[in-house]
Amino acid sequence: MNEFVYDVFTRKERGDRLQHVGYVDAFDDETAKIYAWTTYSEERWFEMCVVKRTNVLPVNRVDGLFVEAQKAAHV
Amino acid sequence: MSQFTDEELMRKVQEGYMVEGPEDMTEGYRKALRVQLTVQADTELMSAPSYWMAARYAPSTNTQVSAHAIIQDELAHANIAYRLLEDIGESKEHLVYGRQPHEFKHPYGFDQPLDNWAELVVATGFFDRAGITLLTDVHENTSYAPLKRALVKIGMEETFHLRHGEVWMRRLSKAGGEARELVQRAVDWMFPMTIEWFGLPDAMKRHSGQLDFKLKGLTNDQLRQVWMASTVPLCEELGLNAPAHWDNVKGEYVLDYPFPCQYDAVDKHWAFDEGEISWDSVFERWKGRGPMNEIYVESVQRSRMDVERWLAA
Repeated sequence: MNEFVYDVFTRKERGDRLQHVGYVDAFDDETAKIYAWTTYSEERWFEMCVVKRTNVLPVNRVDGLFVEAQKAAHV
Repeated sequence: MSQFTDEELMRKVQEGYMVEGPEDMTEGYRKALRVQLTVQADTELMSAPSYWMAARYAPSTNTQVSAHAIIQDELAHANIAYRLLEDIGESKEHLVYGRQPHEFKHPYGFDQPLDNWAELVVATGFFDRAGITLLTDVHENTSYAPLKRALVKIGMEETFHLRHGEVWMRRLSKAGGEARELVQRAVDWMFPMTIEWFGLPDAMKRHSGQLDFKLKGLTNDQLRQVWMASTVPLCEELGLNAPAHWDNVKGEYVLDYPFPCQYDAVDKHWAFDEGEISWDSVFERWKGRGPMNEIYVESVQRSRMDVERWLAA
């Protein structure tokens, strides 16, 4: 099955930082939202967002998972 | 790959260096992490069908919900661990759907049937306590930063599973009669099962890359002691017989039966009276897998190929 990596970001309370809590594999944006909501259900999040990993643009690193995702997307 | 040698990386992680990804790893580190994460992922994954098939014994809709909440958590934990494996170059597709039942690396305890509500709650009380014991140590000590972050969620949820198990163990034990007998019978086979789960005694343990690379902090025997330090007093408080006691002279918990010993998976009976056996025979029993191995793995893999075919059509 052709899936993409989506990184999951959450904010626990109003005023908290939006933080990276993990990632899911999903076919598209809609399933990514559902998978993220059911997978990272340990808190009653004030806010949750998902970002397709290929949309994360590394600024300073020349290696690491986000750089690898960019390379894979532009093959 | 890392700019370090194994020895350099071992020294750096002992000094507090955190590994963030494959670019920081040596091949030795990657292999040790792969083994650890595979056991972790497979254990979470195979606990799901084991608990799922036992959840039908839940005595109310509330308990159905809490049992299924535990199963949902376990599957999410498995998914997170397989994702971490993908990041270091493994294939989740292969690990979950491409392996034969006997190739999974979960403990023998999750190859056993759970046959009533008492067995399910003792399993969440004992097996999830073992999970917390192992993963708390990893959380506190691991040099692999993505795993440390992932374990925050996993630790919170495993604590709920454990509480669920212990509350119900208390309730059934207090009820007396058949309820209490069923809990005792579950303790009789699951206590030694969990003790064995922690693996070879330190005196026999070969060189551990997981300790050298700081992927965990405690040895097998230390982890066994941590587990017993919670479980033995719980059993004593509930008036349940657990085959271990605190030894004042040694300053540790000691087992009241030959360890390791043979297990009859059909009768769920440990042959204490037949004496100690070799660890080679334990490994042979583990390798042969338990009675539910194929059924549990099949229940996870069942529909994958069919749905792939439908989607491709």
